Parts: sequence; structure tokens; C-alpha cells
Amino acid sequence: MSYILEAKDLRKEYPGKLALRGLNLQLAAGEVFCLLGQNGAGKSTTINLFLGFIAPTAGAAYIGGLEVAANALKTKQYLAYIPENVLLYPHLTGLENLALFSSLAGFRYRESELRAYLAQAGLPAEAVARRVGSYSKGMRQKVGIAIAVAKHAQVLLLDEPTSGLDPKAANEFSALLRQLSGQGTAVFMATHDIFRAKEVGTRVGIMRAGALVDVRPTAALNAQELEQLYLTHMHD
Amino acid sequence: MRTFSVLFYYEWRHFRAARGLVLLTGLLLLVGGYGIYYGTTEIGRQRRHLAELPALARRHAAELQAKFPGPADAGEIGYYHHTFAVHRPTPWAGLALGQRDVHPYYLQLRLLGLQGQLYATENVNPTKALSGNFDLAFVLVYLLPLYVIALCFNLLSEEREQGILPLLLAQPVRAGQLVAAKLAFRGALVLGLALGLSAAGLAWARVPLDGRVALWLALVGLYGGFWLGVGLLVAAWQRSSSFNAVVLLGAWLLLLVLVPGLLNVYVAAARPVPQGLALTVQQREAIHGGWDRPKSETMARFYAAYPQWRDTAAIRERFAWRWYYAFQYLGDQSAAPLAGAYAGGLRQRHALGAGLGWLSPAVALQTSLHALAGTDLPAHLAFQHSATRYHDALRAFYYPFLFRQVPFTHADYARLPRHTFTSPTDTGGARAGLWQLLLGVGAVGAAGGLALRRPIRPR
Amino acid sequence: MVTSIAQKEFVSIRRDRRFVVLGALVLALLLAATLVGRRAAAAAQQARAAAQHMVNEQFRHQPGRHPHRVAHYGSFAFRPVAGLGFLDAGLNAYTGTAVYLEAHQQNSVNFSPAQQAGALLRFGELTVAFVLQTLVPLLLIFLCFGAFTEEREAGTLPLLLSQGVTMRQLAWGKIVGYGRAAALVVGPALALAAWLLAAGAGAGAGPLALAGRLAMFALSYAVYFFVVIAGAVLVSAGQRHSRTALVLLLGAWMVGCLVLPKATANLGAALHPGPTKAQLDAAVHEQAQHGLNGHDPQDRRAAALKDSLLRRYGVATEKELPVSVAGLTMAAGEAYSSRVYQRHFAALTRTYERQNALSAWAGLLNPYQAIRPLSMGLAGSDFAHYVHFQQAAEAYRYQLVQRLNALQAGMGYGDKERRLGAATWRAIPPFAYQAPGLGWALGHLLGPALALLLWAGALGWLGLRRLDKMKM
Repeated sequence: MSYILEAKDLRKEYPGKLALRGLNLQLAAGEVFCLLGQNGAGKSTTINLFLGFIAPTAGAAYIGGLEVAANALKTKQYLAYIPENVLLYPHLTGLENLALFSSLAGFRYRESELRAYLAQAGLPAEAVARRVGSYSKGMRQKVGIAIAVAKHAQVLLLDEPTSGLDPKAANEFSALLRQLSGQGTAVFMATHDIFRAKEVGTRVGIMRAGALVDVRPTAALNAQELEQLYLTHMHD
Repeated sequence: MRTFSVLFYYEWRHFRAARGLVLLTGLLLLVGGYGIYYGTTEIGRQRRHLAELPALARRHAAELQAKFPGPADAGEIGYYHHTFAVHRPTPWAGLALGQRDVHPYYLQLRLLGLQGQLYATENVNPTKALSGNFDLAFVLVYLLPLYVIALCFNLLSEEREQGILPLLLAQPVRAGQLVAAKLAFRGALVLGLALGLSAAGLAWARVPLDGRVALWLALVGLYGGFWLGVGLLVAAWQRSSSFNAVVLLGAWLLLLVLVPGLLNVYVAAARPVPQGLALTVQQREAIHGGWDRPKSETMARFYAAYPQWRDTAAIRERFAWRWYYAFQYLGDQSAAPLAGAYAGGLRQRHALGAGLGWLSPAVALQTSLHALAGTDLPAHLAFQHSATRYHDALRAFYYPFLFRQVPFTHADYARLPRHTFTSPTDTGGARAGLWQLLLGVGAVGAAGGLALRRPIRPR
Repeated sequence: MVTSIAQKEFVSIRRDRRFVVLGALVLALLLAATLVGRRAAAAAQQARAAAQHMVNEQFRHQPGRHPHRVAHYGSFAFRPVAGLGFLDAGLNAYTGTAVYLEAHQQNSVNFSPAQQAGALLRFGELTVAFVLQTLVPLLLIFLCFGAFTEEREAGTLPLLLSQGVTMRQLAWGKIVGYGRAAALVVGPALALAAWLLAAGAGAGAGPLALAGRLAMFALSYAVYFFVVIAGAVLVSAGQRHSRTALVLLLGAWMVGCLVLPKATANLGAALHPGPTKAQLDAAVHEQAQHGLNGHDPQDRRAAALKDSLLRRYGVATEKELPVSVAGLTMAAGEAYSSRVYQRHFAALTRTYERQNALSAWAGLLNPYQAIRPLSMGLAGSDFAHYVHFQQAAEAYRYQLVQRLNALQAGMGYGDKERRLGAATWRAIPPFAYQAPGLGWALGHLLGPALALLLWAGALGWLGLRRLDKMKM
């Protein structure tokens, strides 16, 4: 079968620093992969490689079977991305921001549809027509989710998506992820939140100094075991 | 194409939301309108003054007619009567006043030696001349680039600093397309404004619709294009907005202040103009020496230039007007080489400065606009040349009276030659400026294009 | 407290490579402008002095002539370059350099450098004053725009304030630190200028007066830079982001240095139009011919003069008079027409001053428009100095012509047939221009000086006091 997201010997070097040393990884539709690791372990580098923001030194990243570096535009149609801190045009409303990003992705929605996406992402109806400049971080995050959902992407790339969210919002987010993966979306999520990873992930990977040191299906682990495993890898 | 139009539309939204920029746009329009108004009013004032000159001349003639009720000696009339050589502006002059404020736009001429009269100056408030003219050319040359800088200093860096760029670039949008849409919007704005102001100015000044209109618009459009190119080049560098602002303002300072200032020093040093003072002193010496030289010597030299009067009556009296005017003429002749060198030096100076316009598009545009409007130094030199011809015509008119000793009657005042001169338009000079600007646009465009081949960093 | 903050700012500025490069560039430009300006001014001065000497010699070596011939031969007055003209060329480029002095008419001062240059000159001259007035403030803006915003963005501001420093002390410390950096850039150029003046002294007018002018010049710029630095620091204190502070300050610079001076000068000229040379000449001629009141024509005045002379000497005919009626008539005519001209010239000067008044008032709004007149006034290249020269040249012309008229009058009847010996002309003193002193110049500069001090006071006292009320 062809994987929806794949890394083959993916390697990234910066002058004087090896950020990623030969990553191999495959994700099938509906899978939720959680990448755990400390700051600087190479999680963001991996996501940036899949986004095509940086070019690999060796190896290749594939989205939907296409090599990212060679098909930068095409692969971006298959993926949606939610950064840690979703930043939007402050002088546009949530609705207008969603309309802009959707139209850039090639979708032209009616206003009612846009409102439905924002509501699905959990944005209060009163905020929809307000300027984003007045939003809290969580509200912006919800617009980011709506942008991702409205794109109907096959892959979701998430960089610390729940950091800074209150527990209720984080739980709603987890539920949404489960719903999307149930519909066949593959999710690739970088996080330090072990418990969230256990809760939503189908697999977890532990990354250290640019290398994927351990990959386990979450079903085989409970939370304590996962934490133990993480700490072992960090401190040996 | 659809993506492009979406991006273009949202640039409009961003622009509308940036209140400072909207204000600045309004301000530029206002200031441009003032520039058009000021320049055309100033030229209108000059036209009015020129129109008053015939009345002054008539009053003066009436005074002479009262003083000499009967037929008079033409020598007396030539001595007292002054007429005007007038330098009429083109309709374009109101848009680019150029040097018309420091050069006199009319000359009061008598039959005396010309060199003592040719360099008279008009009443000018030097403080105002130092501050310069707030005409449309100033708005376009100085302020338009500042507007472009205000529009472009955060092109792309704003999105990066606001953290929006990663999300934008995660969409199926080419970074080049994003930059192109941003630049296209700014380009439309800048060119719309520059060309719109120009068109309004051209209409207000009622210029004739000929090739010069296209030339003006092309010059202004290319200049706007040059600064947009500079904006693109700096944006492609992908540094912070503050850094961009500093670099762009540095480029503005370099091209509008430092390069012209250095060029000015260089041109003055490379083409030293023989001091104009020397020629007036020389002419004074020659003329006043005329009183002390034997009359026969003076007249022999004069007849060598004007053999047609050789057979007129020999001068036996102590004073004769024809002798007086003969040595006035010889005084001019003795200063002629200096005068020629002076005018030639000025012309060379101008040509050298204009030829170096490729070093600064601002210099190229300013020189071209002034050439087009006929308000530059060559236009003034052409006027001086025309005034010289007029003085020749005056002498040719008076000489038969003087040498045949015909009395000057009241009817003869009306027969005096009159002068008018309208600034020439130097389309050749303007076209040269067009090539210089094209060179500048090509250079920044190519450099910007090359720099853009580096991938855009989203963070 | 303030000194330690100043020290910190000064050290971090010196370690900032961008500032070191920009500062070195500005300093190099200043030094180059000083040297180039000095050379150009010296060359112009030499040329004018040589020309003045030449025409003076020509005058002295005239052969025997009738005095009225000599009055028509006349002389020239060349405007010497002002003492500090090499630092601030002021109006030098737009004012004429030579005026022909002859009987019966007041000629225009001709051959201004602006008429001999192409359009390039209109971009402005790279003088020391230009660098000090426009480029140094720009450098100071780049230096100061982040004074508070950078501390805010880096989060160090609360830390500093928690140490018990007040915002006002912090601002003073920064102003002192930036001021020291500015002095580092500007000081060497002014020292060079002082050295050049001291080395070139002896030749020109009073070195002490020039030293006084230079000292006032330096002091004025010190106040100006304080205004710029304090203004920039205050703007930075009022903004949250460095970028907005920078854009605001750059906008103020553009409006202050570029738009306002031109706009006010143009508006002033439009509000108070002056007469053209043709109109002025016609009016002077008219009044000289027909009398100031219009009912006293010249020929009647001349006839009255002749009658009074005949009566005074108790003779019946002109032939019997011991004086030349023509000479005395000429003298009376010259006196009358000069009076008329002086009136019109004064009116023209007043019109120009009224045109310039708008710019002067704008000094209250725009420190650039306060330092500019102050600087050129101290340099001796402003409008007041130019008018002073014009008046001196006209005064010389008048006394020269009247002296020659008196000589003619003394020749008695039939003077036209005779000449005076060559020695007569050697006894006439040549034109020697004495530039006005510092006290005279300061008298004309009270307005701009006051405006600048007002700015300094407002920013240093009121502005900084507001800081303490500001939320961090």
C-alpha cells in the first residue's frame, strides 16, 4: 500500500549542527502519530521538512506519495497545518481569515458554510465577526483548526497544538482529532504532552538529538509506562 | 491566476485596514494637488508679469515722446528707450518649474552694450530659492519614493513578524506568487497615484496632447517602477521591517541627497566655468576705453564689421551717437570670446550632469522633466541667445537712423522690433533620461529577481 | 543612577556594529564636507578678492577724465565669502556675487552660483550644516528609536524599574548616553573646523569674532541634538513596538526636514508677492522723474535749483557761477533718486522678510526650521547678512557718485570741456566690506534661538515629567 505520509532516510544538516539524522517513518490513513521529544530534538525540523519550508540534506519526505521537495505546491493541497501559536491577520475577522485561507487552498465556501466550520471548531458565534486582534490564543487556535478542517486535507501536521489551551478546550481538540482520524485523516503531531499523546495517538515516537529512538503503538502502553519510557530515553 | 486575484484582493483589504497608509495616500494626493496648484500659479504669475511688460514699455515710450515732442536724434532714443526680451514658459513649466525661479524670465534691453545687460537678475527672495519649489516634479522625484518605501518596507516581513507567514505558506501558494501579488498591488497603487497625479497636472496645466505626454508618463512610470524594484530587492533580502526601513531610507538618501550632492561637487570641479564677472569687467574696460581712443580708429574697426556704413559722413564733432554705439558694439565684441566660453562652459556643465543621470534615477527624472518643461539651464541659454539676436535686430533697426542721420519720429516707436521667445522642449534630453531610468529599472529588477530565487523563510 | 545608565547605553552603542559603521560614515562625510567646503570657500574668496583688487586697480589707474565719465565707469563690489560660510553655505548659492556700481542706477547683484549650475544644485549642497541638520538627526533616530521599546520587547524594562529607577531617570540616562555618542560623531568635525579657522586666521576678519561665531554655532547644534535625542527617546517611551516608534520618527523627520520647509517658504512667497525687477525699476523711475508725491517733476526741481544758485551767488547767468550747475543738479538728482530707491528697496526687503516670517514661525513647530536660520545666521550666510552687504555696496556707490558729482560741481561753468587729473582717482578709497559682528548677527537671530530653547525646555522638562505618569 502507499502511505499518506512517509519519510525515507530524511536528513537535515545545518552548518555545525545535525538536526535530523536519517528519519524513516510511514503513516497510513486514519493513523495518529505523536512525536515526543524535548526542545531541539528535531520535531519542528521534521514538520518543516514535510511542509517543504526547508529542503532536506539527504533522503526525502513524501505526502500522498509525492516527494515534497519536488512537488511543493501539490503536496500542500493534501496537508493542513496548525502551528503552536496560530497567528492570523489581526485586522480581519475570524470569518474573513477563514475565507482567505480557504480560497487560497482552492475552496470557495458560502458564508453559512464558513460559520459552520468555525462552530465545529468551537469558536463562539459572537466572536465570528469580530476582528482577530481581540481574540485570545485559544480562539485563534480554533480558527486555525477550522482552516485545517475546511481544507479537507488527508494529512494534518500539528506542532504543539494544545500548548496554552485550557483543559476544556484541549479535550474538545482531542475529540475533534479522533473524529477526523475516524474519517481517514492521518495526523502527525509534535508534542511534549505525554498524556495527550497517549489519549489521541495510535502510535508514539520518541525523538532525541535528531533521531527517532523508539516507536510504540499506544494501545500496548499505559500512561505510566509511556512516561517511564520517555524519561529513560531522555536520561541515559 | 485565481490565487493571484485572491491574494491581490486581500492586499487591498490589508491596505484599507492600515489607517496610516490610507492617511499617507490621502496626504500624497493632497500634496500632489498642492504641487500642481503651486507650480501652475507660479507660472501664471510669471505670465501675468510678462503680459504687463508691453504696458510698461508703452508708458516708457509715451514719456520719451513727451520729452522729445518733435523728431528726435535716434541716438538719444536708443540711449533711454528700453524694450523687453521675454522668455515665455511652455504650458509644461507649471509642473516642473526647474530653474525658472533663479533665471530671469525677461530682460530689459537698451541699445547699449549687451554684455552689461544680459546677466541682470530678477528680484528673487534667496531664502525661498534655497527652499526650492513645491511643484509636481518635487512631489514625484522626492515624495513618491518615500511613499513607495512606506508601502514596501514591511512587504513580507510584516507577515513574518506577525507569524502569519508559516500558515500562509502551508497553503498551496507559491511564495513567488505571494510576493508578486503584494508587489502588483503596491505597483498598481503607486503607478495609479503617480500617473493619476501627472494626468491631473497635465490636464490642469492644459498641455497640448502630443508625444510629450507619453514621454512624461513613461518617465514617471519608470521612476515609480524603479523604487518598487528597490522595495522588492530589499524585501527579497528577508530581514526585519526595521532593517528594511533603514536600508530603504538609506537608498533614498544615497540617490536623492548624496549622489546628487557629490555629482554637483564633481561637475563643478570637472567643468570649471570661467567667471562671469571677468566678462563684464572686460566689456566695461573695452567700452570706456572707447572714449579715450581716436574716433577714426574706433570707426575703422566698426566698419570692418559693418562695411555697409563705411561711406557715411566722417565724424568731426566732439561727440556723435554713431561713434558712441560703435564702441558699445566693439566692447561687446571684445567680450565675445569670454561670453562664448561662459555660455559654452555652462552648457558643458549641464551636459556632464545630465549624462551622469544613470548614477541616480532621481537626477535622471528631474533632469528629464525639466528638459521636457523647458525650464532647465539650456532653455535659459537659448533665451539668452535669442535675446542676443534681438539686440542685433535692435541695432540693425537703429543703425540707418544713426548713420544716415534720419530723425526719429513718433511713428518710429511702433516700428521698433519686438521680441518673444518660448522655451524649447528638449525631448532628446528627456528621451536620454528615459534610457537611464530604464537601465535603473532593469538593474534593480534583475537583482530583485535573482535575490527572490532564494527560498522564502517562513519564520 | 543616571550616570550608570548613561554608561551602559554608551558602551552598548559603541559595541553596536551598525552604529559604529553609520557613525563612522557620517563622521567621514562631515570631515570631507568641512575640507571640501573650506577649499571651495577659500577658492571663491580668493577669486573675489582678486577681482575686487583688479577693479580697484583699474579705478586708481584711470587717465585724466571728466568726473561724470568716472561715475559711469564706476566700480564693482564683490561679496566676500562669509567667515563660517564653509560650514554653512546658507543662501550663498542663491545670492549674487558681484554688483556693478555706477551713476544713476542701482544694479542687481549678479552671477549667483545657482545660475551657473544645472538642476543638480537644487538637490541641495553637501555642506557641514546640511549633514548636521538632516543626516545627524537621522542617525540619532536610528540610535534612539528602540530606547524604550527594545527594553519593553526584551522584557528588561520591568526588571530595571523594579530596581527602583524611575522612568525619568532612565530617560535622562539614555539621553546622556546617546548625547555622548553624538558628540563622538560631531566633535571631531567641529574641532577640525576650529583648527582650520585658527590656521587660516590673520588673513580674514577678526579671528576672535569668528571664534565667537563658531562657539555659538557649536552650542546651537548641541541644543538641536538634545532636542532630537530627547524627542526620539520620548517617542520610544510612548510606543509599544520599536517598529512603530521608528516609523513615527522617520515620518516626523521627513515632514520636518523635507516637506514643511519647502511648503512654508512657498506659501509665504504666495501670500506676500513681491514686485518684479521691471515693476520696481519703473516705480523708482516714475517717482524719481515726477517726484515722490507725483507733483514735483525732475525738470522743475532742476530749474528751482538753478534759480536758487543764481540768487545765492547774486549773479544773472549760469556762466558767472563759480560752480557747475550740471554737477550740482546731478548730485541733487542722485540724492533724490537714491531716496526713492532706498524706499523701494526697504519695501522689497520687508516683503521678503514677511515671506520668510512663515518659515520663522514654523520653527516653533519644527526644530529644523529653528536651527537652519540660526546656523546660517551665525555662519554669516543668511538673508540679513546679504541685505547688509547690499546696503554697504549701495552706500559706497552713493558716496562714490556724490563725491564725483561734488568734484564736477567744483569745476565750475563749462566743466564738460575739461578733465581732472589721474591723481584725483587715486585719492578715492576703494570699496572695502566689513562684515557685521556677532552681536549684530545675534540681534537678528533671537526668534530662532528662542524657538530652539523653547523646544529644549518643553522636551526636557514637560516631556520627561510626563514619563513618570506613564504606565510601563
